[in-house]
Formats: sequence, structure tokens, C-alpha cells
Amino acid sequence: MIAIFKREVRSCFHGMIGFVLTAFMLAAAAIYFVALNLGYGLTDFGYYTLCRTIFVLLLYIPVLTMRSFAEERRTRTDQLLLTSPVSVWGIVLGKFFALCVIFALPCIADAVMILVLAALGATGTATLANFAALLCYYLMGCAAIAIGVFLSSLTENQIIAAVAGIAALLVAYMMPSLRNLFTTGSAVALALFTVIAAVLSVAAGLRTRSFTLGCLLFAGCCVALTALFLLQSSWLTEAFSAVLSGLCLFSPFEEFVNSSFSIPTLVYYLTVTVLFLFFTAQGLEKRRWN
Amino acid sequence: MIEVSHLSKKYGTRPAIEDLSFTVGDGQIFGLLGPNGAGKSTIMNILTGYLAPTSGEVKVAGFSLPEEAQQAKACVGYLPEQPPLYPEMTVQEYLDFAAELKGVKKKAERKEQVLKAARRTGLEDVLPRLIRSLSKGYRQRVGIAQALLGSPKLIILDEPTVGLDPAQVIGIRKLIQELGRTHTVILSSHILSEVQAVCSQVLILSKGRLVAVGAPDALGDSFDTSSCLRVTVLGDGKAVLRAVGAVPGICKAEIVSESDGQVTFTAESRDSTDHRAAVSRALTKAGCTVLELTAESRSLEDVFLALTERGPAQTTEGEEEDE
Repeated sequence: MIAIFKREVRSCFHGMIGFVLTAFMLAAAAIYFVALNLGYGLTDFGYYTLCRTIFVLLLYIPVLTMRSFAEERRTRTDQLLLTSPVSVWGIVLGKFFALCVIFALPCIADAVMILVLAALGATGTATLANFAALLCYYLMGCAAIAIGVFLSSLTENQIIAAVAGIAALLVAYMMPSLRNLFTTGSAVALALFTVIAAVLSVAAGLRTRSFTLGCLLFAGCCVALTALFLLQSSWLTEAFSAVLSGLCLFSPFEEFVNSSFSIPTLVYYLTVTVLFLFFTAQGLEKRRWN
Repeated sequence: MIEVSHLSKKYGTRPAIEDLSFTVGDGQIFGLLGPNGAGKSTIMNILTGYLAPTSGEVKVAGFSLPEEAQQAKACVGYLPEQPPLYPEMTVQEYLDFAAELKGVKKKAERKEQVLKAARRTGLEDVLPRLIRSLSKGYRQRVGIAQALLGSPKLIILDEPTVGLDPAQVIGIRKLIQELGRTHTVILSSHILSEVQAVCSQVLILSKGRLVAVGAPDALGDSFDTSSCLRVTVLGDGKAVLRAVGAVPGICKAEIVSESDGQVTFTAESRDSTDHRAAVSRALTKAGCTVLELTAESRSLEDVFLALTERGPAQTTEGEEEDE
């Protein structure tokens, strides 16, 4: 895992990509820092700088992660990794941690900006809140990296991986507004959950190579959903809204910055990270069996 | 070193390998031979743990695949069909990375192993160069050097000489023979002369099924049920054919060339009896002077073509029963 980690970090800085991406993030953060924090003497770094650079992440993360697995598959170097005595989790974590380290570089620069604010007179509480916001921002970035790595593991083409990453993060970015479009009808919720159940059943059927199991699972889900729809339709609506909220990757951070330190937000980002790393490892393992 | 029993692999519904069983002993150079698409690379990918078998058992150095994949992989050095190289790295960096990946933790030990592998594969001069700027032959050698790192007991090389010039091919073959003295080597190829020159055991595959296994020479002999003589005589073509056709056991005689009273022809018999003496006597009796008479033995190439064209079901009785 350490060998993969080291190679991944080095490969980012062998070419221009690592430098360009870091410079890009730094420039974005610096503009808001100088214009708002320094220009107006505002101490809230999270709200005035970090929140405003989220849209930069929509481009930064997919470009950072697009190469991770897609390039290995295209050049067949995945054969070297998968035939070496390193577990699939070792490979996935090695790559993920390397990308997290590269993402940490602009975050370290952000930390310096927070220290500058402290030196210029920000209170201890404000500085702590800024650091907490930075921690949450970093974890959010790591969750987005995990999503990007997963998408990269699905294809051989870097461009497709990048476009899929941008699309996924854009949907997550716009989800708070999109959520309002889906007015809370329980029939819509029923339809959505039926589609999800169908997808899960097909996946389970393919995974276990059992058509019967897939059909039984789907039938079970349909019966449960119909029963819920008839007896407790409000549960379906609430669950639907919860699912959509789960897809808003960036709004928990905005809430975190606006209100106060929140452990559930950090847990949410860690969960998303672990979930997508798990999907990536499963995806690699599955390719071996197909 | 390797035990494979009833191995099958399907890509979707398409079978790539069907019911394949073989063993490879320690210290052998084992050749997998077959036309394109016969399943050679699939077998190698399964042996190295890159792919999981659909059914059947595979044991590498005593470890079952895919259950004990990590222990098994630690015993294997693998050069895939396309060398897995990172063009942006230098040869030194790449080999160092490969060594660390294979569990060589100490820096000094890694350096020593990299130097040793580079020396064996003739890469010492290009160690500081970027892999991107290397020729195909050198890239192939980097791939082989990578397979030697981590002191594996088993080295698996998938078509190691593809795309190399004749001098490089000879160099790689020599290296494989050298490796065979210290390691077990599995080598795949569709080039017969390569397998014949290098391997001590050969497994011939066709459409994912085993059609023959054994030493290259023994394979040639065991399938040599017919024999063929090539004769050059001084005399008239028709008279020669008449005389040879009368020899008991000869089923077919054909003139290859005839000029200036010199006739070259081939005579085939259905059994493996040596007819040289009888043919020579018959020709002398017919007043022809024998200039040259040789018994042509069946080459591995003939065996290969016969087996792969005929298909697996007709090769041995055992397999017919399995069908």
C-alpha cells in the first residue's frame, strides 16, 4: 500500500497536473481571502472563503481523480498491481490516501490564511471555528475524492471519468434546489423506491448469479413498498426526502459553517468516503470474477 | 509448483477455458502453446490471481487460488502480454516501485535486487532513462526485470518475445533458459520454434481445451503414427514411382521435382515401420541410383497443426469419454 501511495503522489508531480491543480485551488481561495477576509476585515474564513470555493472543487476533484484507476486500466498497469501481493483494499487505500495528501496541500495553505487572520486579531474562538470549518471542508473533499475514485474505477477512459465526476458533483451541488422540484407526493416516492429496488435486485441477482434470488428480492421489496404506500404513505415521503438530502454532498458543510461544530456532519462525510471506497474495492474484485 | 484441476473460466456465457487439468513440477520451463484465442493468457491471468476461475481448483506453490491469493502472489513474478510500465517513471524508479510492491521493504535490499535484475536483463545502462524513451525491446526487458524482483519461485511470461528483433529474441531466450536453472518458468507462445528451443514440457491448447501435454520431442514422437521418406535418385520418374509403389506398406508416392534425370520424391506409409531398406532395394532393382534417402520425422509444428485443426474431442480416448 505504501509503495502505491508513494508512486501516486509522485506521479501527480511528475507532470504539470499536481502543480496546476494546487495553483488553481490556491488562486481561488486567495482571491476570496484577500477580497473578503482581508479587504473587509471579516474573520469567518469558512463562510467567506471556503464556502465560496466549493464550486472550484466541482472541477478540481474530478480532474484530480480521473486518472487514478482509468489510466491504470488503459495502460494495463492494473495487472501489475492486482498480481502483486497487495490486497484490493491496499490498492484502493494507497491511491485514495495519495489523492487526499495532494488535496491537503491547498488546505495547508488555507490553514496559513487562518493563522494570518489570527495574527491580525481574530479571536481564539473564531480561529477555532475556522479550523473546524477547514477540517469539515477537508473531509468533504475526501468524500468527493472517494466518489471520483469510484467513477474512475468504472471506465478505461479518463475523460469519461472526469465528465462523470463533474456531473455527479454538479448534481450533488444542485441537489438542494433540485429537491424542491420533487414536490412531496408519495406516488413519486413509491415509483423511485421501486426503481431503486429493481436496480438492487438486478445487482444482487448478478452478484450471486441467481435469477431466482433477484426475483424474490424484487418481489419482497415491492410487497413491502406497496404495504407502506397503503398503510403509512407519509413514511415513504419522508424517506424520499431523506434520500434526496443524503445526495446533497455540499449542503452539510454550508450548514456546518453557518451554525456550529457538528459531529453528524463529519460522520456523514466519513460514511460517504468509506461507502465509495467499498464500492471501488468491490468493483475491482467483481471485474476479477467476470 | 502448480496444480490445476478441472479449471474452467467463462467470460459472460462464452467459455474461455474448459475443464483443464495439468501440473507443473519444480524447476521446469513449461510452455503453453496454442493459436490466438486458445486461452493461454486467461490461464496465466488465473495463475497470477488477476482473474478468478469460474470453477475448478488452482494451487500455486501450495496455496489455493483465489482463497490464499496474497501468499500465492508473493511466489509469482509475472510479465503480462503488454508489459505493465509507467512511461513517466525512470527504469530505476519503476523497478524500485515494483520491488517495494512485491514486499521488499528494506531500501538497501531493494537497491541490490533492482541492480541484480537489471544486470540479468542487460538494463544497467538505461536505469536512469525514462521508460517513455525506451525501445520496445528494452521495455520488454524492463517487464521481465520487474517479474524477477521479490525473489519469486515461479516466473510467468506471456509471449515474452513478441515484437522483438531476432537478436533480442535470442537474448530473451537465453535469459529464459538461464532463469530455468533457478526458477520454475511458465511461458506462453504461439511460436513453435521458441517453445521447442526453450521448454522442457509443453501444453498444447485449442479453443480453451487441453489437446496434448508432454516434452516437445516426445510429443512429436507419440503422434508420429505415419512416416515419410524423402528420396533423390537418378532415373526415370514413372519407373521410380512404379518401383516404390510396389513396396509393401508404402501407400503414397509423389514426385517433388524432376530435372536432368534426377528425381526427388516423397513416399508415405500409414504405420511407423522403417521402410528405408525396402525402398532402397526396390530402387536398386529397378536400376536407379539412390543419391539421398532420409526419413522425415514429424516436427512439433506438424503435431500442433494436426491437433489444433482436429479439435480437442478427438485427441485421446480419455477426453472422448469425458465428452
